[in-house]
Amino acid sequence: MTTATVLLVLVVVVALAFDFTNGFHDTANAMATSIATGALTPRVAVVLCGVLNLVGAFLSVEVALTVTNAVVKIQTSDGLPRPELLTGGGSDLLLIVLAGLIGGITWNLLTWLLGLPSSSSHALFGGLIGATLAGLGTSGVNWNGDGSKIDGVIGKVVLPALMSPFIAGLVAALGTWLVYRITAGVAARFTEKGFRWGQIGSASLVSLAHGTNDAQKTMGVITLGLIASGHWTDTENIPFWVKASCAIAIAAGTSLGGWRIIRTLGKGLVEITPPQGLAAEGASGAVILISSHLGLPLSTTHVATGSILGSGVGRPGAVVRWPVAVRMVAAWLITLPAAGLVGALTWYVADLLGGGLLGALVITGFLVAVSTAMFLHSRKAPVHPGNVNAEWDGANPDDPALPAVQALQTEQHLPA
Amino acid sequence: MHTLYLEWQAIWKILVVGLILGGGLPALFALGIRAMAYGTGGDAEDHPAGVLPAPHPVGRALAYLIFALVLLAVALGILVIVASGFGKEVSFADVYPTLQDK
Repeated sequence: MTTATVLLVLVVVVALAFDFTNGFHDTANAMATSIATGALTPRVAVVLCGVLNLVGAFLSVEVALTVTNAVVKIQTSDGLPRPELLTGGGSDLLLIVLAGLIGGITWNLLTWLLGLPSSSSHALFGGLIGATLAGLGTSGVNWNGDGSKIDGVIGKVVLPALMSPFIAGLVAALGTWLVYRITAGVAARFTEKGFRWGQIGSASLVSLAHGTNDAQKTMGVITLGLIASGHWTDTENIPFWVKASCAIAIAAGTSLGGWRIIRTLGKGLVEITPPQGLAAEGASGAVILISSHLGLPLSTTHVATGSILGSGVGRPGAVVRWPVAVRMVAAWLITLPAAGLVGALTWYVADLLGGGLLGALVITGFLVAVSTAMFLHSRKAPVHPGNVNAEWDGANPDDPALPAVQALQTEQHLPA
Repeated sequence: MHTLYLEWQAIWKILVVGLILGGGLPALFALGIRAMAYGTGGDAEDHPAGVLPAPHPVGRALAYLIFALVLLAVALGILVIVASGFGKEVSFADVYPTLQDK
C-alpha cells in the first residue's frame, strides 16, 4: 500500500469517529427536554433520535461535497481538490483533513466530558481552519468569501453563532409565554399529558433535521479524501458505502446518548415543564428549518440551547441558571480557536515527522490516547440513564451524578 | 460591513418567520389543549370544589380541527427537510407549497 492509501484509510476511520461523536454530542439538542419532563424514558428517547438521524442521513441525497469551502480553500468550487495539493497522491490534502478531524474530535470529547453542548460543525470547521493555517498559511483560509454573499469563517460561522441563541431564545420565550397564557385555567394534569405528545412530535422533527444536515458533512469530507487519492472521480454523486457508513455512525452515536450533555441541557440550564419543552422544541425546529431554507443554516446546538434558555425566560417564576448558560457560551466562543489549535499542532507534529506515513500514524495515535484518557476520566463520575434526571443541586449524597454535578459547578474556567 | 448587511438581511427574516411559526405553532397547540379541556369538562379544567364544568362537544371539535392544522404544519416541515435532501426546495410563491429545484 502506498502512503496516500494508508492516509486515506486513516482519514475515513477518523472521519467516521468524528461522525460518531457528532451523534452523541447532539442527542441532547433534540431529546434533553423530552427526557427531563418524562415525556419519553431516556432509552426510548435516544433510540428514537438515533433512528430518525439514520432516516435523515439517508434522505440527504444531495451531494454535500463542497462542505469545507465555507471555511478553507482546499477544494475548487465544483468540489474537486485543489490541484496544487495533489502532489504525493493527495497526501498533502489528506494530512490537512486528518489533522482537522483530530482537532474536531478532541474538542467534542472534551466538551462532552464537561457536559457542555457545543457545536460539532464548529469543532470540525475549527479543526480544518487550524490545520489549513498550519499547512497553507492564512491565504488558505476563507475568512469572509468575496463579499458578494454570506460566506467564510466570519459570515457562515462566527456571526451566526453570535446571533442564533438570541433568535431561538426570543422565539422560545414568546412561545412559552403564549402557551402559559392560553392554558391558564386548564388543570395541570390535563395539560401535561397533551404537551408531552407535542414535545415528542417536535423533538422528532429536530432529530430528523439533524440527520439530514450533519451526516452530510462527514460524507463530504470522506468523499473529498477519496477524490484526492484518486479512488473516486464523480463530483455529482458519493459512493453508497460512504453514505451508509456515515448514516450508521451518526445514528449509533446518537443512540448511545451523550448523557452528560443531556443532563446539562435538560436539568442544568432550566427546570423544564412539558409546556416549556414543547415551546423550546417547536422554536428549535422552526428556526433550524427556516434558517436552512433561507440559506443561512444555524447550528442545531446553538439554536436548541437558546430555545431552552428562552423557555425559562418566558415562563414567569422559572429557574434559569445563568452561570451554566455563561459557561456554555464561553465554550462556544472558544470552540473554533481551541479545535483549531489542536488541528494546527497535530499538523505541525505530522509535518515535523516527514509529513507522511509516520506523522499520520503518530497523530492518530495521539487521538486514540487522548480519547481513551477522557473516556476513562468520565467513568469516575458516570452519567447514565439511571441518574440523568437527578436533581441538579444534588441534595442527595447517594446521587451517583453528584460528583459530575459538583465537577460542573466548581469548574469555573475551561481548559483550552 | 457588506457582510454584516447581508447577514442582517437573512437574520431578520429568520427572526420574523421564526416568531410566527416557532412561537405561533406551540401557541396553536396550546389553544387545542385549551379547547380540548373545555370540550372534556369535569376535572380537565380548574373549577371550584363541587361544581364540575359540563363537557362541550364544540370544544372537542375545535380541538381536533386545531390539532389537524398543527399536524399539517409538521407535515410541511417534514416536506421541507425531505425536499432539501433531494436538492429541491419548497416554494411558497403560490399560496400553496410547490416543489422546485434549488
